[in-house]
Amino acid sequence: MATEFHNLQELRHSASLANKVFIQRDYSEGTTCRFQTKFPSELESRIERTLFEDTVKTLNNYYAEAEKIGGQSYLEGCLACTTAYLIFLCMETRYEKVLKKIAKYIQEQNEKIFAPRGLLVTDPIERGMRVIEISIYEDRGSSGSSSGSSSVSGSTAR
Amino acid sequence: MPGFSGGGVGGGVGVPASAPPRPFRPSRYVPVSAATTFLVGSTTLFFCFTCPWLSEYFSSVIPIYIAVIFLFTLANFCMATFMDPGVFPRAEEDEDKEDDFRAPLYKTVEIKGIQVRMKWCSTCRFYRPPRCSHCSVCDNCVEDFDHHCPWVNNCIGRRNYRHFFLFLLSLTTHIMNVFGFGLVYVLHHRQQLDTPHAAVTMAVMCVAGLFFVPVAGLTGFHMVLVARGRTTNEQVTGKFRGGVNPFTNGCMRNISHVLCSSQAPRYMGRRRSHQSVDVQPPFLRPPLTEAQLEAKVLDNGIQNDRHSTRSKSSLEQMESQSADAEPPPPPKPELRYPGLPRADTEESSLLTKAPTTPSMYKYRPPYNSPGRNHTALTHPNKMIRGDSLDSPSPSILQSSRQPSYRSEPNSLDGTTVVGGGAGARRGGGERGEGPGGSGGTAGVMPGGMSGYSLTGRSYTSYPSSLVLSTGGSHSSSLRSAHTAQNPLATLQSEGTTDTSYKSLANQTPRNGSLSYDSLLTPSESPEFESAAHELSPQKPRAPFPSATITGQREVVSPSSPLQGYTSPFLSAQIAQQREGQLLQGSATFSSPHRAYLRAVSPPPPPSGPPEIQHLLQLNHDSSSRAPRNLSSSSPLARSLEPPVSPPPRGLSLGKSQSNVGEAGPQHKPRASGGGIVLGGGGAGGGQQAPQSTSRPVLANHTPSRPGGGVKKVTGVGGTTYEISV
Repeated sequence: MATEFHNLQELRHSASLANKVFIQRDYSEGTTCRFQTKFPSELESRIERTLFEDTVKTLNNYYAEAEKIGGQSYLEGCLACTTAYLIFLCMETRYEKVLKKIAKYIQEQNEKIFAPRGLLVTDPIERGMRVIEISIYEDRGSSGSSSGSSSVSGSTAR
Repeated sequence: MPGFSGGGVGGGVGVPASAPPRPFRPSRYVPVSAATTFLVGSTTLFFCFTCPWLSEYFSSVIPIYIAVIFLFTLANFCMATFMDPGVFPRAEEDEDKEDDFRAPLYKTVEIKGIQVRMKWCSTCRFYRPPRCSHCSVCDNCVEDFDHHCPWVNNCIGRRNYRHFFLFLLSLTTHIMNVFGFGLVYVLHHRQQLDTPHAAVTMAVMCVAGLFFVPVAGLTGFHMVLVARGRTTNEQVTGKFRGGVNPFTNGCMRNISHVLCSSQAPRYMGRRRSHQSVDVQPPFLRPPLTEAQLEAKVLDNGIQNDRHSTRSKSSLEQMESQSADAEPPPPPKPELRYPGLPRADTEESSLLTKAPTTPSMYKYRPPYNSPGRNHTALTHPNKMIRGDSLDSPSPSILQSSRQPSYRSEPNSLDGTTVVGGGAGARRGGGERGEGPGGSGGTAGVMPGGMSGYSLTGRSYTSYPSSLVLSTGGSHSSSLRSAHTAQNPLATLQSEGTTDTSYKSLANQTPRNGSLSYDSLLTPSESPEFESAAHELSPQKPRAPFPSATITGQREVVSPSSPLQGYTSPFLSAQIAQQREGQLLQGSATFSSPHRAYLRAVSPPPPPSGPPEIQHLLQLNHDSSSRAPRNLSSSSPLARSLEPPVSPPPRGLSLGKSQSNVGEAGPQHKPRASGGGIVLGGGGAGGGQQAPQSTSRPVLANHTPSRPGGGVKKVTGVGGTTYEISV
């Protein structure tokens, strides 16, 4: 019995996916990975503008760092050539390292900033780096009561 | 040179891209097998027969050097062959919802001040990023698509271009090595040319010499491309001929980008990170600004209205025009509709900005608001698909998601004919496929096209033009095909704001707005044109057939906003909603359909089905309130309606509804549902004209099959609905 009531309470606070917003790529500087920092109107009532823009700008910086052509990437290329690309079996490329950092950052942002506001940011790599998907959740406070009651009745039927 | 690597010319015939498990085509592997055989075989022979002497006579450094170059060549060859070129994963369903049926075929972005078009890929369901192209052989969109190389049997794209380029360089070097040192051997053994060693060396030299010319030519070609910062695809299609390439950063930067940049990541086959973040209410909310509060006040309670407060002037316009209860039509269609000059500037201004952030439900009227008159929306869809009325297909949502549709036929150069693929996609499932199947590889006219031969009129001219237009693999060709038919189309097709709809373009080569016009006026093409003409000055939105039917709540004024845009979705909803109703009145549904068809044919037999007579009575009485009657009467009214004027066809439908007095909101869904089914007849105008006035064109319309339990109706945008009867 206690479990049923517990489930009821949990269900009462369920959130359901209401909408998704897609932040598109910003191609104004070419095909380098950048996302638009334009604030979508769907999020106007959900999150502060500055928080959103900071997140996107940080992501853009990460991607710029990943695609930077500098000493490290050059050395990595030379090493790969000399080992007939077998080095890729052992080593992670620079880009992959930065992608891991990005994934961690997005996770962190989700936990701290977005989830408390009923939003969820999806890593753009899952979408082929074409869009940042932000899922908007709505509070469905009363949605759980019916299913809760059914589970209660089921248990009593036993 | 490009031909050498094959601009998309795979080893085999293009496969029907819609079949996910592609058939095994051994012919695709012939070039790569041959290349591998020649490379490895010749080099092995060289090592066995020539190198021993070389190492003795000169030094062992030579064979080592040749071996190193050979290994480098082989490594790059393997990387070019087996590495993912940068394939984009297919977009998930929720990403392209806003693009269904109303989004343009192209989106423009500005890259360093230069307008670049992003085309909608109907197979992958997203707007292709710049430099991305869809490979017909691999059936994937590839980032920075260069070409599909048959010799490695793989696309060359962002990730493996470097390997391909290095492969070419090293192969050229290797061929030169082999040829050179073989020559040295032969020259030293001039008197012993009959020995097997010499013979083999000479054979190897011949092979090397034979391959040197094309390989070196290709290498030189790619060196030029790298220096210029272009892809093969861009070079061959002449994209920047005489123009400026926005993707170049200067010669040195281009070269370093190709050779020194970090390996780009894979998009496919990634381990999806498990989202471990719980989203639990209560949610924090930022304080509302005044503007937001105001928006909320104006909000009529429909969820989507929030979206409509976006910075699209067209949206606001539409909202102001439409009645309160009407769903906000998407802005895009409005832009494309008559009122073109205004629409064009708006559209271009909108599009020249950075691409807007599409939201999932941006243009979709709320499905769950019963107050909305979905019937009207469903109506035009079915009306448009008069041809396929006999076999309704599942709701538009379902149909548009069906994977069985054939993806657009991809031309060899990697561009895809959006018409075919998207049309099939939009047309939904088998219904779209069926008639379209005959369309063949062009896939230009999936069922959509046949669906558009709506009202039984023979659209021979229309389909043929469509075939012609869709035969080309470029949207421009699609558009140009219609320029003859519709001058307005020309207007729209000019400039960067391509107003053709993805879905409509897929099914009909017409431009977006005009497609709907044409759907609305299911007569011969000229009628469409005239319809469009008439429509444009009058209404900002092209009258959708649905709009007319929309008679929805009240009489729909001719200038009511196009609900037709939302029709596909609404109709889907309506179809679902009405399924229950339909089951009840299944007989009604099928018979009015048939009755309608018969009715539209000139003088309907007096001994026609009782329903027709009943409908006639209803029309005259205009007092019927029974759902059955309504559904019957509305279509009949429509069928009876003479072709008032091409555009108002949809309008007339709405009027007919109001005339018949089917004003009850509760009846509207049914009425429009029935109307939609019969709307395919396309007879606009709801006046109770005698049946003889129905257009003779409808006589061509094939009667629906006897209701076998499921009716398929195609709607706007090629979606098909299955209505169980």
